Amino acid sequence: MNPTVLAFETSCDETAVAVVRGTEALSNVLSSQVDLHARFGGVVPEVAARAHVESIRSLTHQALNEAGVHPADLDGIAATVGPGLVGALLVGHSFAKATAWARQLPFVGIDHMEGHLMAPRLQFDDFAPPAIALLASGGHSQIVHVRDWGDYEVLGHTIDDAAGEAFDKLARVMGLGFPGGPAMDAASDGGDPAAVAFPRALPDRPFHFSFSGLKTSVVTYINKAQKSGDLPPLADVAASIQEAIVDVLVNKTFKAVDETGARVVGGGGGVLANRRLRHRFAEEADKRGVQVALPDPVLCTDNAAMIGVAGAHWLSHGRISDWAENVDPGLALT
Amino acid sequence: MKFLAIETATPGASVALVEDATTLAAASRIDRLGHATFLVPAIDFCFHQVGWSPSDLEAVVVDVGPGLYTGIRVGLATAQGLAAAFGIPVVPAVSVDALALEARTGHRTIWTVVDVRRGEFAIARYRPVPGGVVRDSSTELVKPEVLRAQIEARPGQSLVVGDVAQLPEGLLSGLHRAKMAKPRYPYAVALAEVGRGRYERDLYPAPDDVRPLYLREPDVTINWAKIRQEGPWGSG
Ligand SMILES: [Zn+2]
Repeated sequence: MNPTVLAFETSCDETAVAVVRGTEALSNVLSSQVDLHARFGGVVPEVAARAHVESIRSLTHQALNEAGVHPADLDGIAATVGPGLVGALLVGHSFAKATAWARQLPFVGIDHMEGHLMAPRLQFDDFAPPAIALLASGGHSQIVHVRDWGDYEVLGHTIDDAAGEAFDKLARVMGLGFPGGPAMDAASDGGDPAAVAFPRALPDRPFHFSFSGLKTSVVTYINKAQKSGDLPPLADVAASIQEAIVDVLVNKTFKAVDETGARVVGGGGGVLANRRLRHRFAEEADKRGVQVALPDPVLCTDNAAMIGVAGAHWLSHGRISDWAENVDPGLALT
Repeated sequence: MKFLAIETATPGASVALVEDATTLAAASRIDRLGHATFLVPAIDFCFHQVGWSPSDLEAVVVDVGPGLYTGIRVGLATAQGLAAAFGIPVVPAVSVDALALEARTGHRTIWTVVDVRRGEFAIARYRPVPGGVVRDSSTELVKPEVLRAQIEARPGQSLVVGDVAQLPEGLLSGLHRAKMAKPRYPYAVALAEVGRGRYERDLYPAPDDVRPLYLREPDVTINWAKIRQEGPWGSG
């Protein structure tokens, strides 16, 4: 059974709507608010909520049109229920519930993180448990052991900044602007990742991350280099910083692959769009003969197709949310 | 004409199913944080009571504020979702109008008050006319003292309705021409009446142009330190 699902994602600063049939995205549209928030230096919850309510209706029409699907052809509706910004979540969740009720369709609320975990299925038919997935963005960084769909063991997570947050902070120090991840990726072009040996923080627990110390060492390094007058090229420093973050993420993810014996490794979140990280993923997987299932960058960053594929999965397993379901901004994978 | 009215702009949430000028079913609850859990079950309940199916709807009336931003957006997103499912209109109505209509009296000037927090209130002034009220002012955000000054400057008897319980104590003391009264929160039944008037006179925008009435810019300041573009290598 391949249900056709209209899906919504509004947990942060992207208003996203998609139509998914089974594991195939028939459409995947979004209205990004990056420019709106860039002038504030970060995502402003009230600004995000305002933008969601202004664009969700027209995006829904666009998603249905692009998919060539009439509301009467839908089998169900899904929306992100959490985690995220409460005011932002409520817009997509309320709109979705109302549409589902109006068409008398089953509705299911989806954990945003589970959406990221299932996103690889949109492009890799054989992405299935048991698998290891790295979830890393501005709001979250964790290594998840997907034992089965719905059975997730969080092996490790960040003990301070999320990886995307670390990119934002470091890009700021470098004068690269917001958001930091794409800026650092671009600035690293042609740079030597081994130019500067920034430290890799390795907390006691093998799968946990820590990124706050990196900022201190980068600031110290830049100050010293400026004083002595031999500041290396921007690309070299950017590539070295990027390498320090990527190295930790990749090594720990593949340590989890080794320990669990998983044969496939996936990922989601904006940081997984980083070119260096994707390259290193492929290298490490090759060494081990395991399969990499990293979806295209547009399916790594927040999108509604991932909510749709998770929605189709759970609706075909008979899971339906109550009309009284509320959003859960602090929802965590268990 | 069959329509649904959705009221979630204040701590009081309510819905009503109305056919022409007759209310067929209504449900309400006071719970500032619970609008999202109340709304669709309440709509479902009312439809079952009346025996309508969702596709019977011809329009959705929704309170676009002023009021609590999150509540307004929950209501508007719900209205947009329902309307989008069938391509029917979304008719915006404002909270202060619904309050005034419900409070209509024979002769007093009506002042409606909606608490929008941070010490400010959305207010509007209405003049009684046979069978209803006519708004005599624009809706504005004011401090309580300004409300008192405006009432004082106005000759004749006044009725102050809405969230008067949130006004500072004794705000109107000594002002014997003014009286506080119910309702505290706008109600979907009155909102429906406001909306029906607008619908019948074609006074509503295209669905994509229905927007919350915030009356205030988002409360954010630009953090120049955070967005400083200048780095050790020059501007980024
Ligand atoms: Zn995400």
